[in-house]
Amino acid sequence: MSYSFPEEVLEHVFSFIHSYKDRNAISLVCKSWYEIERWCRRQIFIGNCYAVSPRITIRRFPELRSVSLKGKPHFADYNLVPQGWGANMYPWVAAMAQAYPWLEELRLKRMVVTDDTLELISRSFKNFKVLVLSSCEGFTTDGLAAIAANCRNLRELDLRETEVDDPSGNWLSHFPESCTSLVSLNFACLEGEVSFSALERLVGRCTNLRTLRLNQAVPLDKLANLLRRAPQLVDLGTGIYSAEVRPELYSKLTGAFAGCKELKSLSGLWEVVPAYLPAIYPVCAGLTSLNLSYATIQSADLIKLISHCRNLQRLWVLDYIEDSGLESLAASCKDLQELRVFPSDPYGAEENVTLTEQGLVSVSEGCPKLHSVLYFCRQMTNAALFAIARNRPNMTRFRLCILEPRTPDYLTLQPLDAGFGAIVEHCKGLRRLSLSGLLTDRVFEYIGTHAKRLQMLSVAFAGDSDLALHNVLSGCKSLRKLEIRDCPFGDKALLANASKLETMRSLWMSSCSVSFGACKKLGQKMERLNVEVIDERGPLDSKPNESFVERLYAYRSVAGPRLDKPSFVWTVDENSAMRLS
Amino acid sequence: MSLCLFESVISRPYIYKAKVAALILSLRPQFATMGKATHSSSSSIDSSKHPTLSSASSSLYHQSKTNTDLSSDLRLGLTLSTSTSLLPDTLSNSDSREPSTDWPPVKPPQRNTVAEKGNNRQRPIFFVKVYMEGVPIGRKLDLFAHHSYDGLIATLAHMFSITILYPNMDRVHSDKDHVLTYEDKEGDWMMVGDVPWEMFLTTVKRLQITRADRC
Repeated sequence: MSYSFPEEVLEHVFSFIHSYKDRNAISLVCKSWYEIERWCRRQIFIGNCYAVSPRITIRRFPELRSVSLKGKPHFADYNLVPQGWGANMYPWVAAMAQAYPWLEELRLKRMVVTDDTLELISRSFKNFKVLVLSSCEGFTTDGLAAIAANCRNLRELDLRETEVDDPSGNWLSHFPESCTSLVSLNFACLEGEVSFSALERLVGRCTNLRTLRLNQAVPLDKLANLLRRAPQLVDLGTGIYSAEVRPELYSKLTGAFAGCKELKSLSGLWEVVPAYLPAIYPVCAGLTSLNLSYATIQSADLIKLISHCRNLQRLWVLDYIEDSGLESLAASCKDLQELRVFPSDPYGAEENVTLTEQGLVSVSEGCPKLHSVLYFCRQMTNAALFAIARNRPNMTRFRLCILEPRTPDYLTLQPLDAGFGAIVEHCKGLRRLSLSGLLTDRVFEYIGTHAKRLQMLSVAFAGDSDLALHNVLSGCKSLRKLEIRDCPFGDKALLANASKLETMRSLWMSSCSVSFGACKKLGQKMERLNVEVIDERGPLDSKPNESFVERLYAYRSVAGPRLDKPSFVWTVDENSAMRLS
Repeated sequence: MSLCLFESVISRPYIYKAKVAALILSLRPQFATMGKATHSSSSSIDSSKHPTLSSASSSLYHQSKTNTDLSSDLRLGLTLSTSTSLLPDTLSNSDSREPSTDWPPVKPPQRNTVAEKGNNRQRPIFFVKVYMEGVPIGRKLDLFAHHSYDGLIATLAHMFSITILYPNMDRVHSDKDHVLTYEDKEGDWMMVGDVPWEMFLTTVKRLQITRADRC
């Protein structure tokens, strides 16, 4: 059947379609569209690096320019995944160095990236432009130096919350004097010094620089110098925002900020000295995003600052803001869409600030566009959750973390089932939910019944039985990622819903009641599911079938079982399959 | 850092360990009979479950260990320390809750910066990197979670699955053993165990594990 458009025309049409979902849909129309599409696909997103292999990726998409890859499961951020588990980037780069000499962009999250990997990237891709490393680890500033030195057209170097060993300031000096292409530079997570003169010269000659996020080693007076060289900045992360109070530094800083007419996003602000805060006021009216999660300043100063930021859409702040500060936020920032409140004293047993459920209720009342919330607090009530649900049916991301596990409604001493039930019932577009507090099986009934658009669910210290897990797996039609820790969920729900797992990206269960035997059965039964038992307590093959596993990580994959697993990871392979029968 | 800080840090966990030890001993007879019951009840999709059965099943994996190593229990057994239905209220809500790096779910940059600089810090944290010979990526370790060289050696031995020699050890050395060294403030590499523990804490920057036969 060849009465379709000529290939060139189809290719041209496809070139306007960028969303991954649409591209995937196109490739399913018919065989010739599949072929045309795969040759002209330029960017790809792989949500789990073990779901597919470099070889399979390269075979299907021979002309990629941009690759985004995610490695470790989300709970790795909280130390729940042992070191050495995997997500090594090197094999991917080694394969792509051969297949994609024109690769321009790599965006990696939770991958292990070594210096060798960075060096190979810097030498293999002549037109390399964008490197984003989000929550990655495994390399030192030597690797960064290689990138700086060899990537002649580098536009973005973004290290977000990434661990870098042995920082030495020299890496920045490896950017050649001829480098003027930088648009975005983020080294906020580095611990060590950088050469200020190299930084100033680099910033001065990169006239297209839009994003600059400094690390704590850059003092206030250097910040003023940098801002004067880059008044075109749209996104700024300050260094340490603290110095002895000196009038000439204060006016220098105010002048520098006043020159930044395009600034939309502000972050950094470590160890803020309140006396220097007014220097920021000139840019406040233009800010849409403000990250104060390192600013250890009290509520009154926070309120003053925020009252100048009428156009704020995103605010990240410590719980020093307190209920009073959140009330003020609700009154001043009517465009607010996203709020994150972090704990200033996460490990303390005592309350150190007056931040309660009331703060969140105020913001939900006053900010009509609020749809994304991450809130750490010490107390909650069902009544507050009802109010939030009724106020904000447009909520899409709701993550609540009550610091002490299994905390009930402090007024009624009841579980928080009804409150979270109201959230999922009213917020029909809810995509992401994290639960906390005292919760029984009931809340999972509500979730299974109402949360039809829910894609990601995080559960800790909740539920009474397998019925809970069963309700989630059988009811949540859009579920892609489920992560569970310390819940009494076991084999029966898991095995009864085995086929559901192939419709999801991944399932994580740690410190639950899943037996080794059930993991074996699951792995055997589902061919395209990789079932990993991650257990550091000794040799795995000899474990009795009834013993509970430390961690289960199950994910769909077309790549087959991993070849790079460490000794504490067990997967189904031919040998153990034979031993079972 | 004053010495009295160390004293208070040192004295607390011993009380905690005694409480947990008493708890484990008192629960043991229950597990023997509960074992089978727990297994079958956790496999039934029945919403009316006995609360202690359900939490017992979640900590059953502690019992599958033959070794009753308390320090491992404390490190791994977060369920034990925060499970309110098993423990008396005083233990679960008290200030002697064993601080862990996996709850609450805050990311490392948040954890270190604010915990160190916050006004009402309840428990100090001191992360150092530990490098094992032949492994490029170091692992992080909280030295303030330990109160002596014994605790540190035990944790490292478990983390890396090796045996570590240190001064005054009373055993025959073998080729498979490793030695532990540290880099101090001056950049010099020293044998761990040479100076008193408190002094070690004020000067250590990072740790390294190498094979004994290489030294």
